[in-house]
Amino acid sequence: MRRLVPVLMLLLALPAAAEELRGRLQLVGKGGKGPAGGSDVRQALVWFEPAAPKPASPSTFVMTTRGKQFEPRTLTIPVGSRVRFPNEDVILHNVFSVSGENSFDLGLYRRGKGKEQKFDRPGLVRVFCNVHHSMVGYILVLQSPYVATPDAEGRFVLTGLPRGPGRLTVWHEQAEPAGMDVQVPRAEPLAPRLEIVRPRIPPHLNKTGKAYSTRDNYNQR
Amino acid sequence: MTYRWGCAVLVMLCLGVPLRAQEEAPEEEEPSLKPKLEFAFEAKAHYRDSDLNRFAVPFRFDPIMLPRDQSQGFEETVNAGSHLEISTVTLLVDATWGDGLAAHGKIDFIDLYDRNPTSSDGKTDVDEAWVRFGIEPAPATLAPRGGAYLKIGKMPKLERQDDRHLESYGLVSAAFNRFEDTGAELGLNLGRHVYVKATATQGNPVFLRDPNALAGDNGTPAMRQPFPDPELKSGIVILYDAEVEDLDVDGDLELGGGVGVRFADEGGVNGVDFLAWGYRRNLAETVELEGTFYGGDLDLLNGPGNATPFPALRGDEKREAGANVWVYFGGLSFFGQFVDQEIAGLPRTGLEAEVAWRFELPLWLSIGDRQLFTFVAPAARYSELDNDFRNHPNTPAPSLAWDWKKLDAGLRVGIIPGADLTVEYADHEFILGNGAKRDNNEFLTTFRWRV
Repeated sequence: MRRLVPVLMLLLALPAAAEELRGRLQLVGKGGKGPAGGSDVRQALVWFEPAAPKPASPSTFVMTTRGKQFEPRTLTIPVGSRVRFPNEDVILHNVFSVSGENSFDLGLYRRGKGKEQKFDRPGLVRVFCNVHHSMVGYILVLQSPYVATPDAEGRFVLTGLPRGPGRLTVWHEQAEPAGMDVQVPRAEPLAPRLEIVRPRIPPHLNKTGKAYSTRDNYNQR
Repeated sequence: MTYRWGCAVLVMLCLGVPLRAQEEAPEEEEPSLKPKLEFAFEAKAHYRDSDLNRFAVPFRFDPIMLPRDQSQGFEETVNAGSHLEISTVTLLVDATWGDGLAAHGKIDFIDLYDRNPTSSDGKTDVDEAWVRFGIEPAPATLAPRGGAYLKIGKMPKLERQDDRHLESYGLVSAAFNRFEDTGAELGLNLGRHVYVKATATQGNPVFLRDPNALAGDNGTPAMRQPFPDPELKSGIVILYDAEVEDLDVDGDLELGGGVGVRFADEGGVNGVDFLAWGYRRNLAETVELEGTFYGGDLDLLNGPGNATPFPALRGDEKREAGANVWVYFGGLSFFGQFVDQEIAGLPRTGLEAEVAWRFELPLWLSIGDRQLFTFVAPAARYSELDNDFRNHPNTPAPSLAWDWKKLDAGLRVGIIPGADLTVEYADHEFILGNGAKRDNNEFLTTFRWRV
């Protein structure tokens, strides 16, 4: 028995058996009719949340304003992480979000290392620029480290998963997210479908809750 | 103190409040007695090239009323040729107390292109001065909720195109609703999509002006001198609804109203709006307008000395009905308007449609932390005015009864935020009484700067 104790301790020190979930995501047009045109499946995210949560360690990430776009357009971060928003453009930007408890407003700032924001609540944070209506970014604040991005064919692999039940979520900026309960391991590959229902630049208001001023108008006040 | 100067003083009082920096982060809007104030200046500079056209008129002018060595009167292009000019310097003031109360003032200085109606009119003009209780959604945007608003003061007409993509005006805009009226407008938002508007206003006096950039000089004090030769010339004129300049509470009110339906996304970028509207009032025997000794309304329609009335002129009722369509889809915008009007028995219709597409440009260059060359917006507008009445055979202004067509095409380029350049050409055609077609075209370049 004494000999078994070190062996058991060694086994406990090793990582649990790492499992995979494989699948292929398909984007379809409105009403599920045919493949969605113009929407990039590589912009989707797939993540697995085990029934027994395993939070990842917070860290600092970067989302850059460059060429009047956010780069990367989509960012996944663990809860409690910070995101820095450097401005690499030679013009002013004002990064903000009105997404619930993760709302923030960094104000106008010029080219430089930018400002940071901490995200303490899980969920989707829609990020916009108060100056440029077409600038859209997404930060997914997750409580799980198991995230994958599909390839150009929609194929994805989630690796290092613990055995047992959990919930798989598939997300794309132009679709309603889809969730399903999954038992790991799973022999059958997953085949989720997302229906593209939103434009690439979603309808949104500026940080004061008013429409962006794209009209040539001084008379409607 | 005149109404005009009263409005000016009101707006100038607002100027006593310190300026708010344009780029300061807007604060959360909370109901407060302290208004949120915004100020803006706008200046417009132009290069204009107007074709020279002149048309002999049958009216027998006394030779002393014509330039020396001229025995015939003409309708003639206003200030033809190539010119560099500054048309307006405008001050805009907005005060808001939360969402429920707003005031707006707009004062034009120089006021060359909006002059009402001649060059001897005042060079300072309070274009707008109104206060509004309640929320008035912009066209093709959703009301946040059902409710009502009341707007009082000098304001744009409810059917006016508020989002223009060319500096020139179409024939319908010029004839029917380019200029502001004074009174009250009540709006009801029946839910988010359906709305009703009602107005009680003074009514814009009927007068005449050239529909190109410059209005032309008719009845100016200089013409009382022997052998007058006004520099700007008369213009080739249409009947139009002139700007209300003075507060007149004695005359009949113009009553108007409209009902509309709108659909839009929550972001206010894509939307469609349809509005049907109408007005009615009784014309005045005469309306005095600053800058001209000609009277407006029936006085004008009866001609000089009541000698050349329109043959079909009868009664004093002025009424019009019309419909507007606004469409916004991404960078595409469309505005269409149809108007059916009768002025004391003189029927006419107008049709106008403008389409524009605004393309945001990628970031190539910058100046002072701002993007250089922000957008391009090609635009085209077709308008026509069908006057279904004949003129008096001895009229001094035969063009009032001609049929008109105008095609405007141009390009607006955003230089930096707040400054843009518009280059446009007006292909202007009218059909004379004898059926012959003539043009009065104009090239216009406008540099506009807003701070």
